[in-house]
Amino acid sequence: MRRDRAHPHLVPLWRGLVVYRVVALVAAIVNLVRYGDGWARPVLGLLVVAVMAVWTALSSLRYLHRGDPPTAIVDLVVTALATLSTLLVESPEQIAAGDPVITTVWSAGPVLALAVALGWRGGLAGGVVTVGVLFAVRRTLDTDLLYDAQLLLVAGLAVGLAADTMRRSAEQLRTATALEAATAERERLARDIHDGVLQVLALVRRRGDELARHVDADAPAVEIARLAGEQEVALRRLITSAPTPGPDGTVDLGARLATALPARASLAVPAEPVLLPAAVVDELAAVLREGAANARAHAGPGAGLWVLVEDDGAAVTVSLRDDGAGIPEGRLEEAAAEGHLGVAGSMRGRVEGLGGTIALHTAPGEGTEWEITVPRSRHA
Amino acid sequence: MVRVMVVDDHPIWREGVARDLAERGLEIVATAPDGAAAVRIAPAARPDVVLMDLQLPELPGAEATARIREALPDTRVLVLSASTEHGDVLGAVRAGASGYLLKSAALDELVDAVTRTAAGHAVFSPGLAGLVLGEYRRLESEGPDEPRLTPRETEVLRLVAKGLTARAIAERLVLSHRTVENHVQNSLRKLQLTNRVELTRYAIERGLDADD
Repeated sequence: MRRDRAHPHLVPLWRGLVVYRVVALVAAIVNLVRYGDGWARPVLGLLVVAVMAVWTALSSLRYLHRGDPPTAIVDLVVTALATLSTLLVESPEQIAAGDPVITTVWSAGPVLALAVALGWRGGLAGGVVTVGVLFAVRRTLDTDLLYDAQLLLVAGLAVGLAADTMRRSAEQLRTATALEAATAERERLARDIHDGVLQVLALVRRRGDELARHVDADAPAVEIARLAGEQEVALRRLITSAPTPGPDGTVDLGARLATALPARASLAVPAEPVLLPAAVVDELAAVLREGAANARAHAGPGAGLWVLVEDDGAAVTVSLRDDGAGIPEGRLEEAAAEGHLGVAGSMRGRVEGLGGTIALHTAPGEGTEWEITVPRSRHA
Repeated sequence: MVRVMVVDDHPIWREGVARDLAERGLEIVATAPDGAAAVRIAPAARPDVVLMDLQLPELPGAEATARIREALPDTRVLVLSASTEHGDVLGAVRAGASGYLLKSAALDELVDAVTRTAAGHAVFSPGLAGLVLGEYRRLESEGPDEPRLTPRETEVLRLVAKGLTARAIAERLVLSHRTVENHVQNSLRKLQLTNRVELTRYAIERGLDADD
């Protein structure tokens, strides 16, 4: 991934690193002033510290503006070389006596830089390399080295984890912002559709009704007007029934049915969302689609279809009614006896699977009416 | 002749409805493009029925309904809206609208609804019956002081929501047509707020404030 700027949410960490680097450089200069005269090669020591100062300035600018992993890796190499130069600058006796390495705490810089740039893995790797370099200089596993190792590894890990967390929350923030923008855009579209398209579609349908009074009801213009009316209903449901999920994976049954049922069906729901677990809503929508398809097949395409959703807190009741021919008494039992499970059996099976009950009221000439009740307690 | 005022912000729709109703022998006494204009014009036009859209500029339909009903108690408001924003519809009903029809309704239905509204009947679509049933259930959970439906009213409203006509309901429940009408009307009247203070409080609670 190519990035020209430092990750904006990591900038505070980079600033902290730069401050640390500068303070550590001062420590290295103090170290030089204090011990430099006794070193085996004091001039070389002075030169190394000068290089460290230049590198501190260069890398700091780079971190603040780019914050890229390659800079941190180059930093690790430069710092390792500076630390290794201790072998030339100080005498073996001085090193053995436990005098500080020439880079002092400045050597922790790339560990922190790698942690910020690459996360906890980068921090850990940087820590391991830096400890290795310190061991190469000291050649002994004394308490000082173990203490340094502990600090370097913990710092690398901790800063790395912090950087990971900041990166993740920045990602979440970006997703949330994008989602908010998309929702706002959708709402704006919905308003436009509401103000224009819906009104015109409804008017086309209205004109078609008028036309049907003068010409044949099967005339193409009347058909077009009828289709416009159906599309108006479908579009209106699409833009108003926001499928926003409720808490704990619940879904509004009313909004779901608005899109699951054919546009010609009348849908009566409470104003408050009827929230049920998504799986229950899916199953109920499937049952009602089945019932609606059955009504269309038996009651005829011209028959009306009404759905009522009620929620009394303890249970949700859904009624599905058509005004078609109705089912003659005993016909369903007959079908069941003949071994046809049929629509009634399939709907009953699904509803009972939800722990609910389903009742059918029908008589010839009176249409059919299903009443499905699903208790809340089982799905709470 | 029934005097009608059409309130809608969409000019094509507003003029179309006005023309359709005029052709069917209703008298269009005024039209208004927003809620504030409707409130201003209504006292002079003195309509029997105001056909009110809900999502209006200046003043929302529910608030305009409340003000017109307050100024002209004999004028009835019939909500005609493409909006299925449930809160808006309930707000208009509580503000004193005596019925609700979707804009997708056929012209015959609309003419019939206007005539019936003028005669003092409630115009109940199945969708509105579902909303009103839901609202009473919500009120029931709020406390004992809130209005309730009688079992008979609940029964009638459920049948309305399932698409039965008043005639079919009367037949099924062995009641007179008039009694069915009364039950429907009572269910609406109990829900309507008695004064503007209540309405304003309700509007703010439900986020239907005029500043919204």
